[in-house]
Amino acid sequence: MEPAISLRGVVKSFGDFRAVDQVSLDIPAGGIFGLLGPNGAGKSTTIRMIMDIIRPDTGTITVLGKPAAENVRRHVGYLPEERGLYKKMKVLDVLEFQGSLKGKTPKEARAEAKTWLEKLEIADWADKKVEELSKGMQQKIQFAAAVLGNPPILILDEPFSGMDPLNQNLFKDQILDLNRQGTTIVFSTHQMETAERLCKEIALINKGQLVLSGPLAKIKAGFGKNSLLLEYDGDGSFLLGLPGVAKVDAFGSYSEIRLEAGADPQSILHAVAGRLNVSKFEIVAPTLHNIFIEKVGGTATPILERVGDA
Amino acid sequence: MHNILMIIRREYRERVTKKSFWIGTLVFPVLMLGLVGSSIYFMSMQMAKQRHLAFVDATGLVAPPAAAKLSEGKLKDGSPMWVVEVVPVQGSVDETRKALAPRVLSKDLYGVVTIGPDVDSDENFKFYGLNVSDIGATMEIRGALTDSVIALRLQKSQLAIDQEALEALTKRVDLETFQESAAGGATKKGFEQAFFATFGFVILMFMSLLLYGIAMLRGVLEEKTTRVMEVLLGSVSPNELMSGKILGIGLVGLTQMVIYMGTIGLLRMYILAKVTGGGFGWVQDALSPMKLIFFVVFFLLGFFFYTALFAAVGAVCNSEQEAQNLQQPLTMMLMIPYIMTFFFVKNSDSTAAVIMSLIPPFTPMIMFTRLSAGTVPAWQLFLGIALLIGSTILVFRASAKIFRIGVLMYGKRPTIPEILRWARS
Repeated sequence: MEPAISLRGVVKSFGDFRAVDQVSLDIPAGGIFGLLGPNGAGKSTTIRMIMDIIRPDTGTITVLGKPAAENVRRHVGYLPEERGLYKKMKVLDVLEFQGSLKGKTPKEARAEAKTWLEKLEIADWADKKVEELSKGMQQKIQFAAAVLGNPPILILDEPFSGMDPLNQNLFKDQILDLNRQGTTIVFSTHQMETAERLCKEIALINKGQLVLSGPLAKIKAGFGKNSLLLEYDGDGSFLLGLPGVAKVDAFGSYSEIRLEAGADPQSILHAVAGRLNVSKFEIVAPTLHNIFIEKVGGTATPILERVGDA
Repeated sequence: MHNILMIIRREYRERVTKKSFWIGTLVFPVLMLGLVGSSIYFMSMQMAKQRHLAFVDATGLVAPPAAAKLSEGKLKDGSPMWVVEVVPVQGSVDETRKALAPRVLSKDLYGVVTIGPDVDSDENFKFYGLNVSDIGATMEIRGALTDSVIALRLQKSQLAIDQEALEALTKRVDLETFQESAAGGATKKGFEQAFFATFGFVILMFMSLLLYGIAMLRGVLEEKTTRVMEVLLGSVSPNELMSGKILGIGLVGLTQMVIYMGTIGLLRMYILAKVTGGGFGWVQDALSPMKLIFFVVFFLLGFFFYTALFAAVGAVCNSEQEAQNLQQPLTMMLMIPYIMTFFFVKNSDSTAAVIMSLIPPFTPMIMFTRLSAGTVPAWQLFLGIALLIGSTILVFRASAKIFRIGVLMYGKRPTIPEILRWARS
């Protein structure tokens, strides 16, 4: 199947700073795609280039088989990282305007805006000015503005940042709902837990370069079940000194332990048995969080690793 | 195209539904109607009312002929305009005048004219009244006194001249002004009215171009600082956004100008149809429909030229502060033709006026001044318009490039050389 969005050798520099460096990427249609990376990795720059808001120095970007400049404005809904709404306008008027920019007539856009206000539980505020709304409500309006016109692709730049858990859940449900109806979702985040729960496929960017990309399940499988999850009472500070332990992520009452290649999990269990009161011992695949830290943290030059498609 | 229409629609609706727009739009016609209406009313009041005047004459010779002269003027209903009583001097002239003061204060008398004994002295004739700013009335009294004194002097000089011959000798010449036109024939014209009418139009054009330019700049700046810009650019191209904004705000300006010019046109029709005399004849030419149409045309041409520039300035700024600095050159560019109008309204055919009317940034105001204050050869008019349209297209393209890069730049303001490089890219 033809990818929804495809990047080939994309480079973007700002002065001497190379924000995006030779990124090639296929975003499959119909999925939920996570663009991951630490702050300043080049996620937003990549998204802005897909949106044809800034243009790459070299490389090509296609959206639904055509150059981004031709297709992206009509077929992609966009939630930028920096949110912005006309403060003096009424909520429904703002949405009518945003919807009408996706090829709808103002009347159609207004009707659609009303159904979204219902879905997002802010229908009572339709006739208020944007500036009278709380920040959380403004985020809902912004989200509605992005999805209006029912575009086949939705790009959300840090959609959950600064949001309370209730709204995060509301948005997550709406995103999953849209995806079930066939909308391709692309979102960027640096929250690995969110990405792990939502994404079918991810790309990891660091310092402008693509570090890792592919289906999440495959990526995890590639790292093998070489991690231990240990819940315990007592002082676990000795864990890192045990033979066969590569890395320990300690969280107080539990630790995630990354083993060296070939190390035997059972020997670790023996080693801790007498010293800690173990309540849980599990052999697991590494979390995305740990993959992220391993791939990004400390490594000066990222290593490109492509995990085969499913 | 759909997107541009939607942007025009939003700009127009947001601006035209604002209270400030209607205040600005209605204040001007209301003010004009008030000014013209009140002066017509005042003038008719003045003409309809009989005035009583008292002469206190130390010579006993000046007052009677002057009184007779004043009594000749008739009101519409045929009654005399002035009723003059010659009050005999009791004690001194000043004492007599003071005795009459209560009648002036009670408006029984329009005023008292005192005539001292020495008719050749500069301080011999004095008028005491409540309203001393009615130039028309003052002129009439002065004219009557002058005639009377001249007769007296002639009598003293013992030259044998009768009254009729005297009037023939001292008759003033009347200078009428005509405007020469290439189309053939000369039209009668009052220079002062033409000057004020032209200057009024140019002030209106200058103010409107500046205000709409700044409105454009602030609109772009607001979209930038509130980060609406990036949301918009997810759906429309920078070109569509800029074009839509300029056309939308342009439509708002057009609405306002049509209301302004319509009011002036209606006022002119009313004056020409209903008001006879009273010195309003000049409106025939000074406010001709052709002139009103030319005003709207040059306003629109200037609007597109300047708002495209103001849009680019808005795009490269990050704050009001920066914008205020960077808009200075544009404001200067608007000021130059505005100031030059002072000179060109009197010399609309001078070489300097012709040259400046063909320089695109100055064309709207200077060409309109020339059209309004004199005549412009057709080739100059069309060349001026063609050059202005041509350079507006160039300015539009350059501004669109600056706009595209500028709207997403935050932080450091680009330098002028950088901006010029974008414009050329």
